[in-house]
Formats: sequence, C-alpha cells, structure tokens
Amino acid sequence: MVYDVNFGWSGMISEVILGATKADGGTRRISYRIGGGKTLPFLERKPGSSVPLIAFEICDNPQYWSPIVRNFCGDLVNDCGEWAQAADSVYKADMVRLYLTSTRQRDFSDIASVGKTVETVLSGTSLPLIIEGSNEPKIDSEVFLKCGEAGQGERLLLGTAEAGRYRSIAAAAMAYNHSVIAQSPIDVNLAKQLNILLKEIGVSRDRIIIDPYTGSLGYGFEYSYSAMERIRFSALKGDADLSMPLICSATDTLTVKEVREASPAIQDDIAVQWEFTTGIAAAVAGSEIICVRHPRTIPLLRKAFGSLNTEDSGKGE
Amino acid sequence: MALKALDIYKLLPKRNCKECGDPTCLTFAMKLAGGKADVELCPYLDEAAKSVLGATTRPPIRLVKLGIGERSFSVGEEFVLYRHEKTFYHPPGIVFKIADTESPDRISTVTLRVRDEFFTRVGADLRFNGIAIENASSSAEIFARAVETVEKIADLPLVLITADPAALAAALVHCGTYRPLIHAATSENRKEFCALAKQHGCPLVVRAKTIDGLAQLTRDCTADGVQDLIMDLLPESLQAFIVRSTTIRQLAITRLAPDLGYPVFLDASIMDLPDAAIALGITKYASIIISSPLSPAVAEAALTLRQNIYTDPQKPIQMNPGLYRVGNPGKDAPVLMTVNFSLTFFTLQGYLESTRLPCFMLIVDTEGLSVLTAVAAGKLSEMLVKDSIKKFAVEEEVSHRKLIIPGYASPLSGRIEEATGWKVMVGPRDAAEIGEYLHEEWKR
Ligand code: B12
Ligand code: SF4
Repeated sequence: MVYDVNFGWSGMISEVILGATKADGGTRRISYRIGGGKTLPFLERKPGSSVPLIAFEICDNPQYWSPIVRNFCGDLVNDCGEWAQAADSVYKADMVRLYLTSTRQRDFSDIASVGKTVETVLSGTSLPLIIEGSNEPKIDSEVFLKCGEAGQGERLLLGTAEAGRYRSIAAAAMAYNHSVIAQSPIDVNLAKQLNILLKEIGVSRDRIIIDPYTGSLGYGFEYSYSAMERIRFSALKGDADLSMPLICSATDTLTVKEVREASPAIQDDIAVQWEFTTGIAAAVAGSEIICVRHPRTIPLLRKAFGSLNTEDSGKGE
Repeated sequence: MALKALDIYKLLPKRNCKECGDPTCLTFAMKLAGGKADVELCPYLDEAAKSVLGATTRPPIRLVKLGIGERSFSVGEEFVLYRHEKTFYHPPGIVFKIADTESPDRISTVTLRVRDEFFTRVGADLRFNGIAIENASSSAEIFARAVETVEKIADLPLVLITADPAALAAALVHCGTYRPLIHAATSENRKEFCALAKQHGCPLVVRAKTIDGLAQLTRDCTADGVQDLIMDLLPESLQAFIVRSTTIRQLAITRLAPDLGYPVFLDASIMDLPDAAIALGITKYASIIISSPLSPAVAEAALTLRQNIYTDPQKPIQMNPGLYRVGNPGKDAPVLMTVNFSLTFFTLQGYLESTRLPCFMLIVDTEGLSVLTAVAAGKLSEMLVKDSIKKFAVEEEVSHRKLIIPGYASPLSGRIEEATGWKVMVGPRDAAEIGEYLHEEWKR
C-alpha cells in the first residue's frame, strides 16, 4: 500500500520578489523570490523550494528598543548604517528591517532625515531591505514617500499598511515600485478585506506580504499561529485574496514578563529561546519571513530551516 | 466515513441493559458517533455489527495512557489536523531521558527535577511528564538498577528504552505494574516485546523508518494482543519528521489508514537540533517527546508553546467574574477593575502581590477577552462595570467610591464615572507599573 496524502489543494501561494540586483536596476547583491508553495510548509520536497527568510530588525532611535538588544549589540545601535552592516556580515541575516523609530518622537518633522537614514542603511548592507515607516497618520504620507524615493529601484518591502491607513503607503509603493506589508489583527477575514482594499487602489497581488500580527509566545501566540494556518489553508484552497506570503514579527517578545524579568545571567538565553520557538512555530504555520531582534536567534533558526528543507538547493537568484 | 447516531443505533442490540455504562442504547450510540466510546463496551454486539462499527466509531487515534496515579497522562484521541478546526485535546508528554550508565546521583537529580519542578503560567502549573531510561550499558542488571533508582524516588510515568528483551524483562520486574511505556518493538524483536507488554499490560512503541513498516508492525502487534501502541517514525531530519507525522495524522483522522491510528513518539534528544525538534514535535503532532534534561530557557519556551498550542481556540482560558482579594484588604483598600481573561488576571495579580498593598480586584465578564481586545470589540462597557459593582456588592466591601481602571480602558473613563457614580482613576497601561502608581496616586 502506498501511503500518500493528497489534500486536494488547488491554489498556490503567490510569488513576491524582494530586493533588486544590478540586473533589475537596483544595487542589492541578491534578491529573493518567495511564495510559490502548493502545499503545507515544508511538505514540498522538490529541490529549490525555499526556506523562510530571516530578517534582522534594527531602528534609528534605539530609545524605543529593548535594553536586552541594546546591551548585546553595544554601540552599533547608535549608527544604523553600521548596525545594518553587522546584521549582514556578522549576524548573517537574509534581510534587514529598519524601523524609523525616530519618527515616533513628539512633533517629528525632519522628513529629510528619513531619506538620509534609508540611504545610510542601503549603503551599510547590500541585502534586500524592509523599511517600517511612521506610526502617525499625520506624517505618513511624507514619510512613506521619502522612504519610497530613497529606495527607488531597490524593490523594498514597505511597512505597514492597516485597514485604517493604507493609502499613503500604497501610493509610495506604487510610485517607486516597492511591495507592502498588510497587517490586520489576527483574523483571516480582516486580512482578506485589507488585501481587497489594496487591490482596489491598484496594488497587485505580487506586491503584498500578509502580516496577520504575531502575539508573542504566551501572550496571544496561539491566535496568531492559527490565523497563519487559516490564511495558508485558504490560499491553498484557491482564495486569491489570501494567497500572499506571510511575515511574522513577534515584536513584543522581548518585553514579555518571562523575558524582561529573567535573571541577568540567562536573560539573553531566554530572549533567544522565546524568539526561536516563536519563529519555528510560525514558519511551520506558514510564515516565509521571520523577523528577529536578538542576533543570537539567527544561527539557530538558520540551522533549523536547513534541517526542515533537506532538499534545498538555495533560494537566492 | 463517520456514521450518524441513528444509523449506529439501528445496529445496536436495543436491550437498554446499561452494561456499556450508558443508560440506553441510544445514548451509547450518540457517544459512538462522537468518537467518545468504544464498541467493545457493549457485550451483546454481534461480530458483523462490531466490524461495521469498530472501524468507523473508535476515535481515529487511539487514546493511550502512560503511568498510574497522579502524574499519569494520556495521549492520542485527536481528531483534527488544524487546531482551529476544533482543538487539540491531549498535550504531548515531555519526558527527560537519562542513560543507565549515569551515576545514581545524577539519575536521582533528574528524577527529582521532573517530580518537583514546575512553572506557573496563567494559573496552570506546567510540568515535565516523566523519565525515560535508556539501556546504554547493554547490561540487563544495570538497566534494572537504574529503573529501581527512579522508582524509589517518584511515581512518574517511565519510558524504558532498550532493544534487548532480557533487559526489558529485568526492568519490568521493578515497574511492570505501573504502565511504563516500552520502547521499542521493531520487526526483529516484536514477538518478545509484545509478549512482555501483554504480560504486564504496558503500552508499547513500535519503530520503523517507513510508514508501511509502521502499519505492518501495528497490525502484527494488535494481532499479538497489544492494543496500546505508539509509533516512532525514526526521522532522519526535521523535514522527515514533519512529512511523516503530517501524513500519518491526515491518514489517521480521515480513517483512510486505521493501522496508523496511534499517537506519535519523537526522541528529540537524538535529532541534530533538539530544541527545534521539540518545538516541531509540539506543533506537528508528536504525543511523547523525549529530550535531554532541558536548560531553564528552553524549558520555559517549550512548555509555554505547548500550553499555547493546546489551548482551546474557541474559548480563551477564563476566570469567573467576581471580586477577588489580594492580601487582606480593608474598607479603605483600592479597587482595581479588569477583565476575566486569565492571562490578564494573573499578570495583574502577580504585580499586585509584589506591591504588598492589600486590594480588591473587580473582574468583569468580557467573555475572556483581554483589555485592549475587549475595548476594541465593545465588550467592555460602562454598563458592564456598573452591573458588576452591584452584582458583587463592592459598595458593601469598601467605604470609598474610587475605581482604578486599566490604562487601555481610558476611553471609557468618563462614561464609567457617569454610569456608576464612582470616581474613576485611570491606571497605567502596563501592569508592571502598578506598584509605583499605587504608591504615588493611591496613597495621596
Ligand atoms: C490575542 C489577541 C486577540 C485574540 C483574543 C485574545 C483574548 N482572549 O482577548 C483574538 C484573535 C480573538 C483577538 C480578536 C480581536 N482583536 Co485582538 N489582539 C490580541 C493581542 C495579540 C494580544 C492580547 C493579549 O492577550 N494581551 C495580553 C493581556 C494580558 O493584555 P491586557 O489584557 O491588555 O492586560 C495588560 C494591561 O492592560 C494591564 N492591565 C490589565 N488589567 C489592568 C487593570 C488595571 C487597573 C491596570 C492599571 C492595568 C491593567 O496589564 C496587562 C499587562 O500589562 C493584541 C495585541 C497586543 N499586543 O495587545 C491584539 C489587539 C488587542 N486586538 C485588536 C483588535 C482590533 C481585535 C479585533 C477587534 C479585531 C478582529 N480580529 O476581529 C478582535 C475583537 C475580538 C472579538 N470581536 O472577538 C487590536 C486592538 C486595537 C486597538 N488599539 O484598539 C490589537 C491591539 C492588535 C492590533 N495591533 O491591532 N485579539
Ligand atoms: S450494553 Fe449494549 S445493549 Fe446494553 S445498553 Fe449498552 S448498547 Fe444497549
């Protein structure tokens, strides 16, 4: 008897390209094509099926960052160009995700600095980038346009569109040829609605990455895990409005009680294990970009993804 | 395909004799339809009816119990591939492995750790579940002695890992009546292992690298009279595990391959990446996970993941609404309002206890939603707060009329004040700051 499962899927995860190399008019040394899956994560055994990308998160105003990371990374956190470079050459991430935390200061208005920061990070690393713009609707439009412009030709992934505020970011993405992260609070229907809104204003499917919002381990992760599974399931069943690849960023991980109050001797270990465990579980649920903030989480995830795709023959192109 | 209760009822003897433990044949039929009973419980079923019913009504994955007494646990009896389709019922047991070549001291230390250590989250004590003893010495005598050492210290579920029937027999002398799990029967030693498992009434792991091989083994073992089986898939990589485990789960729950309807065993300690294997085992259908004694960092993350994945997605873990006390609050003690989501309650309670200021916690019924979620969903309203104050007779407990509400509920502060007539004080957003807040704002 042959034991083979046939789930009867008819859909496929849509493909999104992140980063542009010289050949595509950018300056990145690599670009990634993610998506394309036709079944549950890691069940595909065909050579060349991709493993999740690991994105290292940095910011331009470390006041808003976890003290655990500030201690671990030291002075680097004060210079996002060098920090991005370390993420690439020392921590060995696949992507760098820059949070423009400087824009969170009260009455922020130095829009020109946003462009400079993005340029600094672009020259600090030649990896594809994710840029997180402002958190404040009043300055969204200017900030996103600036980011889009500074990264013109680089096929950035811009974050984050939400149901109430997606127009500015979509406009910037379309004007400068970037992709967007579409975030909704842990609900498959809300994720779908937002994708439809984006489609209606002209953002094409191969330019969207879904962020179903990741509650951190022990603080809502179970909901996020199932939301990811449901989205992947709907996509495989053929729902084109949910067929985009998923991104997971458990941004609260380093502030949960178990991590924040850990004894100093093992605080890094705890932080890393919480990020790592979340990352593995999210990958298994369908996330294709896993974001982390502790450098030590990267090699652990890298090895695990290697063992989860034993027939991998490289994902870059 | 699953049968409906009425179809099943037609096949039952209709004696209503209660011998199955149910009051009537019909209620028994309803249980069978839900996969919650075993046809074997009715002594009057004829063979023809049994074979029709057996295959379709028994749970698609057999329930297997390990150990006896307080720390015993059961695994299996799962019905879905995705937790959102229903829920996952039986969390995997995490079992620490020690070699019989370790010193008695070391064996005792690990045993004591599994017996005593726990980690409290959301009101639940999360524990490791048992001890696996590996016959690394290849000596029956040393193996038996190690088992004896563990047995003397604690009544924990055991896993006996050996390929040697003689060593197994020697170990079972010490623990055979306590339902240890035997690991593992293979195509080579199956006869002897089945005989021992049957003699002692123990659950048995079968091990093979292919799904075919596993199905063959479970067929042979059940024919030899051992029904309580668990399957070791011998994965050579994390991917091999996820592929085989998912395949088996899907075939079992769709009843396409009844020979695979048994829980899955995973020895994470022999995998390349044990920590990743544990997380994968938890999410992807392992029921018994063997690991080396875990560091505190890995242990906390793994136990929390297990708790998350095995929570019922339809109902958040909830508290009964009511007025709770922290310490021995008097008439002038502060009253803090929050929601009945357990995670919120226990987080806030933890911080309140460390402030050492006795107080009341007024828990209102938001159907288990957290503060922010309840506010966003409109489940937290001024009328709910007003009714709760009345229902739980808060006005008789304290002489003041001041209510501290969570920072995230601040949009409701004016309305709560109007509806209740109480003065509302908006607390911090993060419960970690509650101590400081109370000392500064309440004391004044
Ligand atoms: C898990 C989750 C869910 C789960 C529900 C979990 C639950 N049982 O509540 C699900 C998936 C069902 C869900 C649903 C929704 N959610 Co939701 N969810 C979350 C998530 C990720 C975590 C919530 C959580 O568990 N927090 C942990 C607990 C302990 O926090 P807490 O109760 O607030 O308690 C803290 C403080 O408030 C304080 N505190 C508590 N009590 C008290 C008392 C006093 C006196 C004081 C001083 C302090 C204090 O202490 C605690 C620790 O600091 C949050 C994001 C986030 N980071 O908060 C989004 C979030 C709350 N959800 C959101 C939304 C919009 C929704 C939905 C409306 C949308 C939807 N998906 O349909 C629905 C509504 C629910 C419904 N109709 O059923 C938004 C809310 C936006 C806003 N700012 O208003 C959030 C912030 C996500 C986001 N970024 O968009 N959600
Ligand atoms: S034991 Fe059989 S005959 Fe008796 S009540 Fe139960 S199902 Fe009916």
